[in-house]
Parts: sequence; C-alpha cells; structure tokens
Amino acid sequence: MDATPAIRVVDLRKSFGTLEVLKGVSFDVDRGSVVSMIGASGSGKSTLLRCINFLETPSGGEVYIDGEPMGFRTDATGQRRLQPLSEINRMRRDLGMVFQQFNLWPHMTVLGNVIEAPMRVRGMNRKRAAALGEECLARVHLSEKAREYPARLSGGQQQRVAIARALAMQPKAMLFDEPTSSLDPELTDEVLAVMRELAGDGTTMIVVTHEMGFARDASDRVLFLHNGLIEEEGPPEQVFGAPRSERCRQFLSKHLQ
Amino acid sequence: MSNWERLVWNQRGVLLQGLAVTVEVCLIAFAVAIVGGLTLCLIRMHVRPLRPVAIVLIEFFRATPIFVQLMWVTYVWPELFGWPNSFFTAGWLALGLQSSGYLAETFRAGIEGIARGHREAGYALGMPPLLVFRRIVMPQTLLTVAPSIVNQFTVIVKSSTLISVITVQDLMFQAMKLVNVWYEPIEILTVTAALYILFVFLVSTAGKLLADRLRRRYGLAAA
Amino acid sequence: MSDALRQSLDLSLFWEYRQVLLSGLLFNVYVFACSAVTALLVGLAAALLRVNRSWPFRWIGTVHVELFRNAPDYIMVVWVHFVLPLLLGAIIGRRLEFHPFVSAVIALGFVYSGYFAETFRAGIQAIPIGHVEAARACGMGERLILWRIILPQVVRRMLPEAVNQLVSLFKATTIVSLIAVPDLMYNVSMVTATEMRPLPLYTGAALTYFAVIWLAATGVRLLSERWRSKIYA
Repeated sequence: MDATPAIRVVDLRKSFGTLEVLKGVSFDVDRGSVVSMIGASGSGKSTLLRCINFLETPSGGEVYIDGEPMGFRTDATGQRRLQPLSEINRMRRDLGMVFQQFNLWPHMTVLGNVIEAPMRVRGMNRKRAAALGEECLARVHLSEKAREYPARLSGGQQQRVAIARALAMQPKAMLFDEPTSSLDPELTDEVLAVMRELAGDGTTMIVVTHEMGFARDASDRVLFLHNGLIEEEGPPEQVFGAPRSERCRQFLSKHLQ
Repeated sequence: MSNWERLVWNQRGVLLQGLAVTVEVCLIAFAVAIVGGLTLCLIRMHVRPLRPVAIVLIEFFRATPIFVQLMWVTYVWPELFGWPNSFFTAGWLALGLQSSGYLAETFRAGIEGIARGHREAGYALGMPPLLVFRRIVMPQTLLTVAPSIVNQFTVIVKSSTLISVITVQDLMFQAMKLVNVWYEPIEILTVTAALYILFVFLVSTAGKLLADRLRRRYGLAAA
Repeated sequence: MSDALRQSLDLSLFWEYRQVLLSGLLFNVYVFACSAVTALLVGLAAALLRVNRSWPFRWIGTVHVELFRNAPDYIMVVWVHFVLPLLLGAIIGRRLEFHPFVSAVIALGFVYSGYFAETFRAGIQAIPIGHVEAARACGMGERLILWRIILPQVVRRMLPEAVNQLVSLFKATTIVSLIAVPDLMYNVSMVTATEMRPLPLYTGAALTYFAVIWLAATGVRLLSERWRSKIYA
C-alpha cells in the first residue's frame, strides 16, 4: 500500500486575535483509517477540523491531502501565499464534512441536498447524480425519504442525510464535527451505526466526538487534545487503557461513566 | 449660492408654515388612526354581530390606495354624508382612516400574541374579563405594538404629501406653489425632499430606539 | 342623501367609460411591473452592499436604504420628474426631459428598492452560517452559493414581507397620475372634468382598485403560503 497518508497535518496553528486556539498540532491519518479526536470543549478540536478544510484559515502550519499541500503554496521568492478560493474549493471536494448542526438546505428535498454539489460542482448530469444520490442514501438507510423535505425528518435522519450529502462527492476522507452532539440520546445510535459501517467499509475518517464508546471501538487511533495541543495519542487500547497523561486520565474518568 | 438664498432661505417663512400644517394634519390623523384602529380591532374580535362590517372596513382601508381614498373622501363623502366640509378635514380623515385599517390588524396581532396563560392566570385569581383586558392584555399589547405604531406615523407623514393635491396648504403644497412661481424647481424641491426625509428619519429612528429599549427592559419582541 | 347614495352606487357612467378606464388600469400595471423589477434589482444590490465585509460598501448600502425608505413617494416622483433631468442635463450639457412614465418608474423603483433591500438583508442574515459552510465544504464557489443556497432561501423567507411591499408599490402607482401618466386615476379625473359627476367615478375607481388589489394580494399570499409550508413544516 502507498505510504502517503491521506491527510497529513504539520505544526498547525490558529489564533483568533490574541487567543491562540491551536498551538502547533501535527499528525497523520493513514488511508482507510479512523482517527477520533477527543478532549474538553474549548480544547481546539472543532477548530482543528475546520482548519483542515480551510473553513477557518490556519495562522500557520501545513495540511496535505494525499501528499498535495492544501490552501497555501510557496512562491518563487519563498513567500507563503494563500491560494485563490477556486483552488481551495477544488481540494475541499476531496474532504466530506459533517456538521454538528446538520446544515441541510431547507429549500431542497433530501435527494436535492445530496445531488446539489455533484451536479453543480462536479458537473455530473442529473441522471447520474440522482443514481449516485440514491446509492448514498441507501448507504445511510434513507432511500425512502429521498423526496421529503428536511424539515419533515428527525434529527438523526437529517444527520444521516448530511452524511450521504458528503459521501456523494466521493471524498478521499470524511470529517465529522461532533455529529451526534445536538441529537437526543435515542437518535445518536442510528447515526453512530452508519458511521461504524462507513469505518468498516474502509472510509478514511476524522471524527471529533464526545462518544467515548465510538472512539474506543471504531477508531484506529485516538487523539486527546488539550489547550490547543495533542496531549496524548495512540491506539484506543492504549489511550483508554493506560493513558500516560494525567489530564487525559481525568478527562476519561469523567466521561466514561 | 444666491439661488439657494433667493429661492429657499427667503421663503423659509412660507415653507415653515407649510411644515406646521403638515405636522398638524399628521397628528390629528394619527389620533384618528389609533382610536379608529383600536375600535375596529375590538369590534372585530369581540362584537360578533358587527364582525363582518369591521372586517370589510379594515380590508377596504388597507387595500385601497391612499390617493384614491383621499379623492373619494374629498369628493364623494360630502355628497353622501354631507361631511367633511373642508379640504383640511378631508385630508386628515382620509389619512386617519387608511392607517386605522393597518393599526386594527397590528392591535389584533398584538392581542393574539399574548400567551393564553397570562389571561388564564388572571381568571384563576378571580379577575373579571374586563379587568383582565384592562390590566393584563392591553398594557402588554401596547408595549409590543408601540414600535409598529410609531412606524405607522411615518406612513402617515409620507402619505400626507398627497393632501397638497386637494389644496391643503402643507409643506408640499407650498413647495409646489413656489416652483410654479419661479419655474426653478431644483433648490426648492431638493430642500423639501430633504426636509421630509429628515423628518421621517427622525421619527423612525425614535421608533427603533423605543423598540430596543422595550426589548431590553421587558424582553419583548415587536409585533 | 338617498339620492346621492343611489347615484354613487349607480355605476353606469363608470361602465360607459370602461375602455378608457381599463386602459388606465393597464397603465398602472405597466408602471407597477417596470418599477417592481427596478426595485427588486436595485434592492438586491443594496442588500448585498449592506452585508459586504468592507465598511465603505456597507455605508453606501445603509445610506441608500435610509434615504429611500424615509422618502415620501410623491415628492420623489416630483423630484425625479422635475429636478433630475435638469441635473443630468447640466452634467451632459444638453436639455433633458423625462417622459412621465420614465420618471414614475425611476422614482417608484428607487423608493421601493429601499424597502426591498431591508427585506433581502434580513433574509440573508437569517440564513444560518452553517448552510454556507456546508456548501463551502462541498467545494461550491461563492457565486454558486449565492444563487443556489442563499437566494432561494431568502426568496422563500422574505416572500410574505415582499408581497406586502409589492402591494404597497401597486397602490403607490396611483400617484403617477399627478405627473400626467394616463393611469386609471388620471382618466377618472379627466372624465370627471367633462361629466362633472365625481360620485360614481371616484366610487368606481375605489372599488376597482380595492377589488384588484385585494384579490391579487389574497391570491398571492395563499400561493406563497402553500409553497413555503413545504419547507417550514
């Protein structure tokens, strides 16, 4: 297998004014692997995820998708320059993103949401896009809701549609930003089940989550963030079984009950 | 500069006289609109037999252009009802009637927006319906609709320019008269437009400040 | 009194002149259609200025909105008809005169663009930023996001408000008779001058406007509610 990681993050930094949220974070995500990011709120997890696809522009550091640098290029004089939006957009297509608030577009049907980007961004014709969309909806077990409008769906169903929407771009990796945090407990399971299936199919995933069960069972590696730095990282058995950092141990003991 | 002085500054007495008439007509029309609007609203909501009449009047006032209504009240009413007997009266009456239609609906939205629980809490304490209306429903309604009422005043001011057509000597009338005397419309009309815009701007800004203050103090959203 | 009542309700005179009056009503519709398009386009532009990131644009947008929203339609119609041609003429160094129809469309279009701009802006700002981010995350460009994600939602959100404003705009078209656009009111006043019988004519005009406006407004409101309810269930 090719050794180039699907996503490589090198010394990523982000400040909002004087507030430093990310203080230099580096890690690799291998192809087909699942990385879970845990940590207290305010530790910088979501910002890190949003910096990876440049919804936030990082203040420093690099992101590589399949070895290709994202967002910045170094020009002939050695200056680091932000690439034009069109270039960033081109690379964003390779990263599917799922938001905490679903963010389905209310004026389009479920299928309309899923096929919008394949048609308008990838230039697919409606028939092919619809076939692809149906396929993606089948993967999240919502084929029968294709013609409904989002407002008629439960939160869990909406989030599964959002996953299908991201899958329809056939991304190289999926980014999940606390996908179950705004769901009632009884609805989280259906979303986590879909995510487990994706992980089982070999989808490359970064998951920011408070679901410790998912992080422990479904991921290949776990990162524990604290104050904008990776405080602990390793395979789930190690992070959950024998954490080296005291803070990580405290965090886990609070969240594992 | 001399043009401005000759055409505007030297005529300031006439223009200010016109402005005074504008303010007078608007205030009378505003009072008519509030009283008329509240009456129409209460009839519509609580006087079953007269309800259709109130609805027709409200819809008619709201859906007929102010200029058409003004002409109708001015030229048809005197023959129909023998009143109004002056253009001045016809002016404020038409402006007031149109706004009363709008305010009736504003009041209704305000009253219906009050949580049923507030009224029930009053009834549960043994308050009679009229007392509940006077002490619980009405004060809250006035607070929520206050910004809309102020807004309606700006509508009256804007529409009031039309009463110059029936020769009420308001600001617009005086301005047009000066234009017809001098045939030099640039300065007079620009200043007149600016005066109206400023006047309406001040009133609507006051309305916004009022809305903000009410929201901060009582946590009310405007109706 | 009863005689006057009978006279005002006897609309045979109104019927006699139906062709002149109908052609006048059509003029109201023309003025309305042209100024509505102007108002919507200029209003959208002003709204986009108001939500722009850099402050000079925002400032221009704000001045536009405050200027036109607070201006009485009548004085704006008069100003555009009598003053604007002189000012423009001075700039290009030629005598200029506007056709009354043109003046009416410019004046009403710009006055109502102030109202539409505010409605558009409120609609744009009510869209959760997440909808835009979701589109960005799909790799959609800014123009595509505006036309496919933002505007369709804005249109649905602002529809009830916009219908009210369009109704106001239609009502405002009656004042164009004052600069001699031959609309219904203008023709009514012409016929009144020859027949000397204002009662049936003005009553007929009021009833006609009421019927047209009430029916159109109610119909459009019903349709737009049905359309919106699919989304905001």
